[in-house]
This record gives sequence, structure tokens and C-alpha cells, in this order.
Amino acid sequence: MKPGKVIGTVTLGVRDPSFSGGRWVVISPMGKDELTVKNGNEVSSAWSLIAYDDLGVGVGDAVLYVEGAEATQPFDRPIPLDAITVALLDTYKFTPPTES
Amino acid sequence: MILARVDGNAVTSIGHPSLIGRTIVLCTPVDGNGASAGAPFAAVDPMGAGIHARVFITTDGSWTQGTVHDDHSPIRNQIIGIID
Repeated sequence: MKPGKVIGTVTLGVRDPSFSGGRWVVISPMGKDELTVKNGNEVSSAWSLIAYDDLGVGVGDAVLYVEGAEATQPFDRPIPLDAITVALLDTYKFTPPTES
Repeated sequence: MILARVDGNAVTSIGHPSLIGRTIVLCTPVDGNGASAGAPFAAVDPMGAGIHARVFITTDGSWTQGTVHDDHSPIRNQIIGIID
């Protein structure tokens, strides 16, 4: 699981029939700098990604997402996914030691 | 397996059912000298690691599915040891 910030949504006009009930969000991965600056809408320099979402997250929310084969685990059918939101964060705290 | 330092925590009330009620920590990978060595990630913490504790983390999703008793859990990262 990685922390990320939702920065947009994607709507598909035509889609694979295995995608039903979910939606798509654009996530900017949150690194050390983005996690320590609160209440900002910072977009990190890392590549943003598209993730499947069935939690109902919105733009500006901090989320946890999973990439890779584990992203398909919640489904009982084959589905061509490799990123999914798994948690909407109410709060988070990130305080790395200052020497690093 | 990842050597990491616990740098924070996260609280969620809307998420995959296997995450609800579990302690989620934000960790930074570290090298052998304790210096940061990668981007932060989240892990489930069943052991109560304190802030800045050095921990040992498994990225084995199928193991974690067993410990959270959910065959459909997408969780991969879990603390499996706290380093003295």
C-alpha cells in the first residue's frame, strides 16, 4: 500500500465489460515532502497513475492504493487491473526524524 | 522483505473491509545504517511499533491474507518484527 492524493477522475465512454460498478481516479503518489506538508494540494514529481475506485473517493482526498497483482484480489472474477484504492484516509501523521 | 522505519500512522474508516480496525503505519525504507532509502509506504502493524522504531516488513500478500482472515484482501505490507 502506498499513500497518494486524488487529483482527478477518469470517465470511460467505452470500457471492458469486466469493469462494472467502479470508477477511476487519478492519483499522485505522496512522497516524504507531500506527506509532511499538510492541507496542501501538492502534486509530487512521481508519475501519477490511474486507479480503480469503489470507495467513492473525491479529488483532494488522501488515500492508500495498491499496485500490482494484489490489486485484483478483492474481485472474484478476472479483471485487468493493476491499481486500486483500498482506504480513504481520515487523518494521517508523518514525522520522519530530522537528521534524514 | 523490507527494513523500514515507522514515521507515522494513518487512520481510515472507509476502506477495504480487511483494513478496517487495523493499525496502519506509514514507513520509510532504510538502509543498514538507518538512513532513508526510498519512498514512504503504508503497512499493517499488528505488533504496536512505536514512532521511529525500525521494523521488518513482509510484502507477501498471501501471508497477509491469512493473518487478516480475508482471502480477498489486497494488503501486501505487514510488520512482522520490531528490531532491537
